[in-house]
Amino acid sequence: MASLIACPHCGPRPKEEFTIRGDAGITRPTPDAGEDAWYAYVYLRDNPRGRHKEHWHHTSGCRRWLVVERDTMTHAIYAVSDASAPGETA
Amino acid sequence: MVDFTLPHRPALADAKSGSFGAPATGNRIMLAALPEGHVLQVLGSKGSAGLEDLIRQIGGGNPNAVRAYSPGQWFVVGDAALSPADISGKAALLSGKASIADQSHGRVRIGISGTAVETVLAKGTAVDLHRAKFPVGHTAMTLIGHISALVTRTGENGFEILVLRGFAESLWDELIQMSLEFGVDATVNH
Repeated sequence: MASLIACPHCGPRPKEEFTIRGDAGITRPTPDAGEDAWYAYVYLRDNPRGRHKEHWHHTSGCRRWLVVERDTMTHAIYAVSDASAPGETA
Repeated sequence: MVDFTLPHRPALADAKSGSFGAPATGNRIMLAALPEGHVLQVLGSKGSAGLEDLIRQIGGGNPNAVRAYSPGQWFVVGDAALSPADISGKAALLSGKASIADQSHGRVRIGISGTAVETVLAKGTAVDLHRAKFPVGHTAMTLIGHISALVTRTGENGFEILVLRGFAESLWDELIQMSLEFGVDATVNH
């Protein structure tokens, strides 16, 4: 597991300050998308080897949701950015 | 209609006080329970940027009163207790660009100082506390051990820690423990 996350608001912080939500690449289906689409959205996840984008919450810091792009094999961190669209942050 | 009065009891009133640890005097740590005056959380409304000057007015121009810890979020602290009228007077200054949540009852300030203060705090947090990276006035929300706390440098060798009231005594005991190798004088003046 990657151990130092460069939070765009707080600087480098240890992973203990964060909560991981999971894959940042999946999109929520429409309410009438059907049972299969919803089953996949709620339960089915890939277990990739290599580059992976995830939502991380800086729970014990700025409490912002971040998108962390990391390597599941080497634990390298490629990029960390705020999950909100640019300009939406107060 | 209030049937009985709720007495305010400072969170650290019964905390450990006195001198602990090494008898050496050179770089002793001073630990102080600071007055429970006011702690205001200021939250910027969505899309509002450049509020810093406005928030400084809420702090009344006192150095280190305003503590930024997240985009659009600040804590404003001070030694004086504020009435609800004082707080709504401050909220009016913000003219809708931000709102104030009074946290005076819920968070407690602890002062810690001494030449070895960075070494002591580094036992609990991974934040780089060196003066070059963490100058006077700088603030960081972080974990000290397992306790979430807002750390602010208030002087060359002094920090203030803002912590949830219920965790204050636990953190107080841990800070004493972390300071034992230098010797520590803990004072609770309320």
